[in-house]
Parts: sequence; C-alpha cells; structure tokens
Amino acid sequence: MKPPILTIIMLTVISGTMIVMTTSHWLMVWIGFEMNLLAIIPILMKKYNPRAMEAATKYFLTQATASMLLMMGIIINLLHSGQWTVSKDLNPMASIMMTTALAVKLGLAPFHFWVPEVTQGISLSSGLILLTWQKIAPLSILYQISPTINPNLLLAMAIMSVMIGGWGGLNQTQLRKIMAYSSIAHMGWMTAIMMYSPTMMILNLTIYIIMTLTTFMLLMYNSTTTTLSLSQTWNKTPLITSLILLLMMSLGGLPPLSGFIPKWMIIQELTKNEMIMMPTLLAMTALLNLYFYMRLTYTTALTMFPSNNCMKMKWRFKCTKKMIFLPPLIVMSTMLLPLTPMLSVLD
Amino acid sequence: MMTYIVFILSTIFVVSFVSFSSKPSPIYGGLGLIVAGGVGCGIVLNFGGSFLGLMVFLIYLGGMLVVFGYTTAMATEPYPEAWTSNKAVLGAFITGVLAELLTACYILKEDEVEVVFKFNGAGDWVIYDTGDSGFFSEEAMGIAALYSYGTWLVVVTGWSLLIGVLVIMEVTRGN
Repeated sequence: MKPPILTIIMLTVISGTMIVMTTSHWLMVWIGFEMNLLAIIPILMKKYNPRAMEAATKYFLTQATASMLLMMGIIINLLHSGQWTVSKDLNPMASIMMTTALAVKLGLAPFHFWVPEVTQGISLSSGLILLTWQKIAPLSILYQISPTINPNLLLAMAIMSVMIGGWGGLNQTQLRKIMAYSSIAHMGWMTAIMMYSPTMMILNLTIYIIMTLTTFMLLMYNSTTTTLSLSQTWNKTPLITSLILLLMMSLGGLPPLSGFIPKWMIIQELTKNEMIMMPTLLAMTALLNLYFYMRLTYTTALTMFPSNNCMKMKWRFKCTKKMIFLPPLIVMSTMLLPLTPMLSVLD
Repeated sequence: MMTYIVFILSTIFVVSFVSFSSKPSPIYGGLGLIVAGGVGCGIVLNFGGSFLGLMVFLIYLGGMLVVFGYTTAMATEPYPEAWTSNKAVLGAFITGVLAELLTACYILKEDEVEVVFKFNGAGDWVIYDTGDSGFFSEEAMGIAALYSYGTWLVVVTGWSLLIGVLVIMEVTRGN
C-alpha cells in the first residue's frame, strides 16, 4: 500500500477509536465504530490472497452486525430516556442489546467464532492491530455503561470465554490462532471484573496490550507463524528464545512476572465481593491457557525440536528488522510486578 | 385508510426488506430496494419532512441505486434467481411475510401491546400534531442545525465518505 494512503487509513482507524472513547453522543459512538471498521478492512487485506479476503469479509460481516445491534440499543435508549447523552442510566433492554453487540465486537463467547479465523487469515502486523487496538473502543463503552449491565449476561459470557479460550487453544500449532484464543480468554477475565471494579479492567487491558504487542513483535522479528518455525529460533536469534520463555510465562499469569498482576487483582476484587466459585473457576480454566503457552516454551526454549540437518545453518543469515520498541516492551511485560502498589494512586 | 397510512407504509417497508433479505439475485434485490426507498420516502413525508423525503428519491434511488443497477447488470449471471425459482429463497420470503403478518394482526387486534415499548394498537401510528414547534418546520430546523451545532458531525461524515472511497479503491486494486 502506498505510504500516503496507509497514513490516511491508519489515521482514520485511530480517530475512529478516539471518537468512540471521547464522545458524549450515542450517534457519534456508532459513527466512530463504523469509521474504525471501514478503515481497517484494507489493513486486513494487505496481502492479496483469498484467505485474507475471506478473513476481512468475515470480520466486516460480524462487526457490521454488531454495529446494527448497537444502533438498535441506542435507539431503544433514546425512546425511553428521550436524549442522546452517553450516561450510565440505561434502559435494561437497551443495556442488554448494547452488551451483546459489544461482546460480538470483542470476540467474547458465544460470539468468539470469528476471532481465530480472522486472525489466522491476515498477516502478523494486521493481527497485532486487530487483537490490541480494536479491543480498546468496545471496552471503553462497556466501561461507561458498566453500572447498568445485566450481571448474569456478562458473567456468563466471561466464564464461557475463559473456558473456550483455554480449551480452544489446546489443539493449535499455528501461532496466530493461539494468540486469538489467548485474546478470547483475556477478554473473559476483563469482562468478569467489569461489574465490580472497572479500574481493574483497564489495568488488565493495559497489561494484556503490552504483552500481546511484545509477543507479536517477537514473532514478526523472525516472521514465524507456526510452532515449528518458532522452534528454530534458537538457531536464528537465541536471545528471542529466552524472551519467548519469559513472555509466555507472563501471558499465562505466573508470578513474579507482570501477567500475574491483573489475575491477582481480579481475584482479589472478586473475593472482596463475596464470589468464591467464580474466581476459582476462572483460575482453574486459566491453567489450560498456561498449558499451551508452556508447550510453546517447551518446543522453543527448553528442547531442540526435531528438524533436518540444514536448519542448523540458519544463524548465518542475519535478521535485518529494526524493532526499536522491543526492549522497553519486554521489560514492561515481564518486570512490572513490584510496581503493583502504585495502583493505590487510583483511590 | 389515510389515517393509518403510516402503518400501511411501514408494513410494505418491512415486506420489501424481507424480499431482498431472502437473498434472490441482486437484480431482484434492487427491485426490493426501490420499493423500500419509495415507501420510506412516503413515511418521511408523512412526518412533515418533505425535503428529506424527496432527497431519498433523488440521491438514494436516482443516484446510488442507479449505479447499483448498472454494476449488477454488468456482473449478472445468465439465469438469475428470483423468489419463485429457488425453494430456499421462497421459504425465507414466506417466513418473513408470515412473521410480519402475524405481528401486524397482533398489533391490530389487541388494545395495548408491549413489544419493546408500549403502544396502543394501530392508533399509535397516526400522526397527531404534537409538540409545539410553532411556525417552523422541524425538518428545516434540523437541517439548519446540522450546519450550525453539528459542524463536527459534518466533518466526521465528510471524512468517512472520503475514507469510504479510498478504502474501496484500495480493496479493489488487488495486485
């Protein structure tokens, strides 16, 4: 894509999300979502193969349906309250429709089916934007309407998402699909805490975005999309091998890495609100996630995966990609745990 | 009949939406869109918005749908699917029309129904002269407001239209 067009399109993607986040008029929320959707389609179709076209079409159809549901919710809210202001007093029917629409946009179960298929069909950099930036806008609207969301609906979707994110990712060897199921599970954790403490949702979103950004950048450095080619990184760039180890453990939520912060805080907030079974269930199904991250570290960093003899010559080819943001991102995604007491500034 | 004209037009609106949602070939879908556009214009006219209703005819039907019709004519197949040539399309059409008929009869029979909001039979579709807008046409005031209070909206919509063109160029370039 030519640079001026790419600049304009990226500008529209960013301004679409900014409009959704900062506006106080429900119509502008819908317009922001549509701008975002329209502009990200050519980014998803960067490579002109049928698989990318199919992925972009699926993304467009699901997100357009979700926007229509959101519009229906907005109109029902208008009918009952007589005004267009984004406020937290929503009609219950409008709230349910909006929550469902935003769940489709996020890829929460049972509307998660598009996430692995779309993520697999597009390039790694497009998948990065899809799984990180595109989550910000729906979550900001859920943040704003969080006092009126039906708890049964949201918690059911959250638990289902964590379970499906865990079990769905178990049989995958394609890294983009693994990241897609990881995204589904993390969205489940975020929406689980939304009812009780939306601040923790923002914390989880921030740390999730940092970790996913780092993972995708490490994968883009070697252009690896399968477990098999990831297992050859000890030969190409041995530093990335140890970084993948740390990062996968952080994504799985193991202390003392940063990925543990959101899980700890969420379980703490949930138990403060006297819910015992739910955090237990969430923590146990998060172990499924940890299993497939561990499988990646096992093949990458802990063992020499089977390959043929000429693979050991790969170190002769130097990688020329410049990833200047990678070191600070790696530090942020693994070493933030001692800074957790800084959360008290939010009080 | 004239008092319930909005109700009748709304029913025809829904039936024409069903006619193209049952996925016949695009040429026949365009026919459904034409009917929907014309009837929708009638609904807008009944609420006093004469300018916007005629805009629908001019820009939507006379501009966009004509372009759609020409492109569909260029890309058409030798035996396009109509509503009666394919059992799936016919089944979807009949299901939609049946659902609409049942809803319409339910609304007309009962005194007060609540689907998403309460309304009292067919009487709620009759246009009364509620709201004291005085001597100003609300529709003209709305269009004027678009260019005074709604400047940001015009900027965003204009930008989105430009992006729409660029995106379509980008998507159909394909090399």
